[in-house]
Amino acid sequence: MSTIVTAIEDAARRNGDAPALSWHKATWSYAELAGAINRVGDALATKVNAGDRVALLLRNSPQFAAAFYGVLSAGAVAVPLNVQERAGVLARQIEHCGARLVLADATHVEFTALREALDGKGVTLLPLELVDAASGCEAFCASLGEHPVRAASSLDEGSLACIIYTSGTTGRPKGVMLSHGNLASNARIIAGYLGIVPADKVLCPLPFHFSYGMSVLNSNLAAGAHLVLEDNLAFPQVLVKRLQDEGITGFAGVPATFALLLGRTQLADFDLSGLRYVTQAGGAMPRPQILALRAALPKARLFIMYGQTEATARLTFLEPEDLDEKLGSVGLPLPGVDIEVRDPSGRVVPDDAVGELCARGPNVMMGYWDDAELTAQVVRNGWLHTGDLAHRDGDGYLYIDGREVEMIKVGAFRVSPQEIEEVLATLPGVQEVAVTGMPDALLGQAIKAVIVAREGATPDVMSVKAHCRAHLAQYKIPKVVEFAAELPRTSSGKVQRYKLA
Amino acid sequence: MSDALTDQIRDFILENYLFTSDTSAIGLDDSLLGRGIVDSTGMLEIIFFIEEQLGVKVKDEEMIPDNLDGVNKIANFVATKRKAA
Repeated sequence: MSTIVTAIEDAARRNGDAPALSWHKATWSYAELAGAINRVGDALATKVNAGDRVALLLRNSPQFAAAFYGVLSAGAVAVPLNVQERAGVLARQIEHCGARLVLADATHVEFTALREALDGKGVTLLPLELVDAASGCEAFCASLGEHPVRAASSLDEGSLACIIYTSGTTGRPKGVMLSHGNLASNARIIAGYLGIVPADKVLCPLPFHFSYGMSVLNSNLAAGAHLVLEDNLAFPQVLVKRLQDEGITGFAGVPATFALLLGRTQLADFDLSGLRYVTQAGGAMPRPQILALRAALPKARLFIMYGQTEATARLTFLEPEDLDEKLGSVGLPLPGVDIEVRDPSGRVVPDDAVGELCARGPNVMMGYWDDAELTAQVVRNGWLHTGDLAHRDGDGYLYIDGREVEMIKVGAFRVSPQEIEEVLATLPGVQEVAVTGMPDALLGQAIKAVIVAREGATPDVMSVKAHCRAHLAQYKIPKVVEFAAELPRTSSGKVQRYKLA
Repeated sequence: MSDALTDQIRDFILENYLFTSDTSAIGLDDSLLGRGIVDSTGMLEIIFFIEEQLGVKVKDEEMIPDNLDGVNKIANFVATKRKAA
């Protein structure tokens, strides 16, 4: 079958000199990328068997792509880890998926701590060179060592390609299992509706361990386009200047990205006539912001999209031409994807009535790794139960009305309140804690923790945040920490998180 | 170099991102982004701090790493802006 790996190999055969990925001063051609993927595959041939998990602790870089697709080409399963996480969480995910090998950036801040956390557990960390200069490809391949050329293997559409960890409690990580067919079909459909062609030059600031970022990587490389990487959004003016100076034709962002660009740059002062399209996913963008973005970028087609990791990435998109008439809608299902809005008993609700958005199609995940119970709750008879509340208008357009579960969305990242509560509960002096989302102008939601201190204990805000920083990714540190005498509860004793915000 | 302005900036970063008063936790020339001390949201908060607490308006085009990605860089930027004002 045709996978993303074979699509990259095809692109390398067609036009090997065409640029595939740029990062700082480095640009990797399709020939270099395909060569490096092959080198990774050769290096892994003696180390892993088909179906073995290989974790990646690599930030966005051409090297990430080479490692990710290299693992796939070896018939193994790639587990891209969130490079913002601390060693404790990374180690738990590595142990949870049973990876025996981690391809890691030796300069990562948690590298040493992770090696210590995994000591004696039979996990090997293979340090790789991430050089962001012209020599990057060569240095990366050299760090893999010399290995005999392996026999080519063909990949089965239905077999597991990668596991992406989404938010879960520390005790119960949620590893979304995606097959080669999941990745390839979703990438092809996305590349199709965005009209991605080899002449495109697309800027991506989204992390690849996150399904939206992963879909940008897959769809652009599958289409033979040039993907340009941006490390962070701290300097929005620099980003917009890149869009102009480098003739970027496509740009992918989440609502917070666009809030930043609209609030902190003068888009009208730049010549962005080359920008053919802009995509938004990763949570609902407020309607006034959609209109402001379109007004600021009149020549770019603005795609509003919706999906989730459990659906590989994408489930629906709104054609830019429908934006006025269907403002606030996430559009129509992707070709080949069926969507139903159902009531709790499983019946399809009438138009305009709110229910749970359920989906069926080639993009629905295989399940959660090592969690048959949770998989059975979420995927039933081939239908993915997204947990998102939605309604459909008389023309079939879908609108998202919220989430059923108490998940906080910081920027575009899902955060489980339980995960933070579990970390805070280990702090001496904390008797009880509840975490909730609170409205935030830039990120949509920010995290708030309310703590009931033990009698006699006087934890302070700084020590609480320092504890979080030691155990959680930066974006999971509560913005607000408050102390209370007790937590609001229902008559049955359940904490009412929504009353804390 | 260490003066009152530099100390004020360093203390703000220590208190709000590293949650400590241990001044050895950050070098004055360390990259705030490179070391993972702040992310892009944190950088916006630092700009808010510069504008509200240090009284220097940061223009959109001044939001560049050379002005903001480190304690000394911020101190130099603020000092230069104050002189020009």
